[in-house]
Amino acid sequence: MTIPLIVLLAGVVLQIALARVLTARSKGWLAFLSGLAALAAALALIPTIRSDGSLDGTLFTWDQNVPVVYHVDALSLVFMLLATGVGSAILLYCVDYMADEPGGVTRFYALILTFIAGMVNLVCSSSLLIAYFSWEVIGLCSYFLVGFWYKETAAANGARKVLLMTHIAGYGFLAAVLLLFHSAGTFLWTDPALGAAFSSGIFLLLLIAAMAKSVIFPLHTWIPEAMNAPTPVSALLHSACYVKAGVYLIARLYAITPWQPEWKTLVLALGCATMLVGALFALVQTDLKRLLAYSTISQLGYIVTGLGLGTPIGLAAGLFYALSHGLFKGTLFLCAGSIQHATGTRDLRKLGGLAQSMPQTARIWLIAAAAIIGVPLTNGFAAKWLFYDAALDDGALPVVIIALLVSTVTAFYMLKATVGAFYGEPSPSLAGVHVHEAGPTMRAGMWTLAALSLLFGIAPQILMKWIVAPAVTALGFTSGVETSWLGLSTGSGSAQATGGAILVLAALGTGYVIYRLSQISPATAVNAFSGGDPLPEGAPVTLTAEDFSDFAGEALGPVYAVTDPDRVYLRAWQGLRSAIASLDSAVTPRVEAHPLALTAGLAILVGLLVWIS
Amino acid sequence: MNLMTSLSTVVSESSHWDLFMGGSFLVLFAAIATYAVPVPQGDRRWWGLVAAIGALVVVGMSAVDGTARTVMLDLAAFLAVALVWVQGSAQAVHAARNYLVLLAAGIAAMTAGLLIAGESVTPPDAPLDHLAVGLLVIGFSLKLAFVPFYVWLPLVAEAAAPMTTALIVATVDIAAFNELAHLRTVSPWIFEQYEALWIGVALLSMFGGALFALAQRDLKRMLAFSTIDDMGYLLLGVVVGPGVGLEGALVGALSHALFKVLLFGSVGLAEHQIGHALTLNDRGLAARCPAATVAFIAGALGMIGVPPIFGFAGRWRLYLAGADYGGAWLIGLMALATALALIYYVRAIHTVWLGQPSTPETPDEPPLASAVLLTLTVLGLALGLLPSLVTAYVS
Repeated sequence: MTIPLIVLLAGVVLQIALARVLTARSKGWLAFLSGLAALAAALALIPTIRSDGSLDGTLFTWDQNVPVVYHVDALSLVFMLLATGVGSAILLYCVDYMADEPGGVTRFYALILTFIAGMVNLVCSSSLLIAYFSWEVIGLCSYFLVGFWYKETAAANGARKVLLMTHIAGYGFLAAVLLLFHSAGTFLWTDPALGAAFSSGIFLLLLIAAMAKSVIFPLHTWIPEAMNAPTPVSALLHSACYVKAGVYLIARLYAITPWQPEWKTLVLALGCATMLVGALFALVQTDLKRLLAYSTISQLGYIVTGLGLGTPIGLAAGLFYALSHGLFKGTLFLCAGSIQHATGTRDLRKLGGLAQSMPQTARIWLIAAAAIIGVPLTNGFAAKWLFYDAALDDGALPVVIIALLVSTVTAFYMLKATVGAFYGEPSPSLAGVHVHEAGPTMRAGMWTLAALSLLFGIAPQILMKWIVAPAVTALGFTSGVETSWLGLSTGSGSAQATGGAILVLAALGTGYVIYRLSQISPATAVNAFSGGDPLPEGAPVTLTAEDFSDFAGEALGPVYAVTDPDRVYLRAWQGLRSAIASLDSAVTPRVEAHPLALTAGLAILVGLLVWIS
Repeated sequence: MNLMTSLSTVVSESSHWDLFMGGSFLVLFAAIATYAVPVPQGDRRWWGLVAAIGALVVVGMSAVDGTARTVMLDLAAFLAVALVWVQGSAQAVHAARNYLVLLAAGIAAMTAGLLIAGESVTPPDAPLDHLAVGLLVIGFSLKLAFVPFYVWLPLVAEAAAPMTTALIVATVDIAAFNELAHLRTVSPWIFEQYEALWIGVALLSMFGGALFALAQRDLKRMLAFSTIDDMGYLLLGVVVGPGVGLEGALVGALSHALFKVLLFGSVGLAEHQIGHALTLNDRGLAARCPAATVAFIAGALGMIGVPPIFGFAGRWRLYLAGADYGGAWLIGLMALATALALIYYVRAIHTVWLGQPSTPETPDEPPLASAVLLTLTVLGLALGLLPSLVTAYVS
């Protein structure tokens, strides 16, 4: 039960102890092996948890009367596997990616391993205080990793935003835990007394913390700024793990207390808004990683909405989607990293035609892009299918409509990114740049994740039977959720006939487009959809990423103005700053010029207060 | 043999916590002294005064009790004034003069208040109870720089060498704070019958300290206001009282001492390297002073109470004390004040330390001073991972 944690922490210790001995590449292999061992240990838990339901144990006393108590159930396992599995693939990718980094490699690997260990500890702890502790540990790791290149102002600023937004919201978690302890006298969520002490206020506090971690609107705006991190960090933290911590917390709440109907409504509303806002903002991005960041926001909206449905199939959809998103979004980020590694830029306006020089990266990208769009044979399709089925089954028609709309937008911006980066003529901006295919371990890491996306798209029942369905059961539901080859049958029986057929046709159509793209000779210009009107004389035969972004930006301008919470945050900060400056200039000079007289006056005032109290 | 018997008597009479605090102060004095070898903080008088203050505080905390302790700690506070005075600059003398007058007034008020209250579990007859509490509120507020009696501290922080201020806030003041906590156990009525007043002072200090810290551009002044801010939390723990409140206050006081040495030490080291007072106009010092940067970030996170740094061990208890005393509204206020603290610390970290450097190349940081700061940083992390090593003593 504790082996994954021990192995990861041993990896951290070895990284630090051998910092001066090992090369950057050796440190990478060491970190990868630590991750792999942790994954193996997590996998080894599956049979026991399937048979016994959970593993329980007290490790040691962290603070007075606050022991570290583990309750490892199938839900814990979902997130443990996500952290250690995707983490291992990304660490493999890092071996080549970080090999030429001039400094800070030990810091990098120590932080990544600590992050994974923190995630494991979070999902295994039954003490909510220890869970909060882990919550903040992964938050700090994220902060330091985003600011890895701390001498660059953009990276430092991104890290600042990460820390401010996630840590402040995290006080909701701490406040909830302490208020629960105040009422129930325990930190253990496994104790029924804690569940009995739950209230809507406590739920809201926890939800706020989860929203900031899982980039739920309107607390999502830190993630695009976090894209100045090294790309493996974006892949691990901002697709697979960190943003899933909030998902875990929301899911875990089902195991602690029954949900009130209004809680579900609130989560559904937030999830749908997040889906929509993320996708709309992704449309106008020209920076590949920022596009993927907004896409993460949108995808997290799907996941949280699935959980918010609160039915067994809804929870299964949310959890299956969380795992799938970790795989395909991790792949997309790693591809973006390979592109940046090879070209020195991630600006879609300066990219193009990379399929010619990076054919393997292009193929991997296409698999992952197909998955995020929801093309059959990929895990993205199985996840979306479950999601729609759950929403239809629950009668949540608005959710279905919004999700369909967002799916269309997703296909649009992913095709834009695909065409912009890989197809058409090679960009003139790259003239003179030796664009090269990703190194062997980078490719191995990417292929691993992409292959798993395909495997769980073709045979989603593996995940469903062994991981997801037991997790739904662990949350107190009679699961009964199953899925077939390709994810076409979910066993719920009511929804397939209505929305399913349309969805399959739409997805197959998109799949055909992707297939056609993969068949085009990389050097050939792509005929782009121009909106119905013929392109003007002399116009380029392809539309660039910039054209799409400009179009979306102009057409949806007012929407962006209304849905950008950063404007509100900035105004609040400016108001606070000017109020404080006024206060300081009014008070400090007077106080410091006449300290004794002021003190005497205040002493009299205190005397009066005591007298009347 | 007699000496051993006397020592064992002293040890058994002192509480485990007082001994632990005495030992902790000894470590901090050793750290400050070691740091001051390569990064000079003053002339020979400074060293003499530090030695005297160290002896008074360590012995006062760990080996004596009652009036003798109070006298020794008060004497140490007066020597701290001299420590500021011997810095020599006109600004330092001005600050020391204000500090002296306010400290003298504070000690006089405290002494008078204690004499009237008589360290008794029951209050004296009215109106002496009112008078005693009024004097104690004013006295402790002046000595510990609670809002609105804080004025001496920013002046001292701006004028004195950084480790001088660190020594004052981390040892002299924290030892005095322990006396306040002691008073909470022997004369609970002083706090219980005047809760609103004490809580008001605590909240004023929390928010006043945080808001004024946000307004500062000079880092030493910012740290002074951050001390005031943090003392508000500690006072709140004392008012809530035995159990989680007092435990939180005492553990928080110890972490306050540790992290304030780190913060002032890192600012001092950077100032030593770049040759001028550190303000928000400086940029990217991490490239020039990596050890100071690590120490500052660790110190800031410790002060805010971010896990896994040791500050969290005190902070969660104080939050719980807030929940016990005032429920959700008080926790909400505490979280709000902490959020303000996060903002001013993070602004300092990202303006002054991280990002592109604006100062020319400097020589490497002195290894001894760097080693001191990094050792304290590791200590802060280790105690955060295993706080029971400390909290076992507090109950």
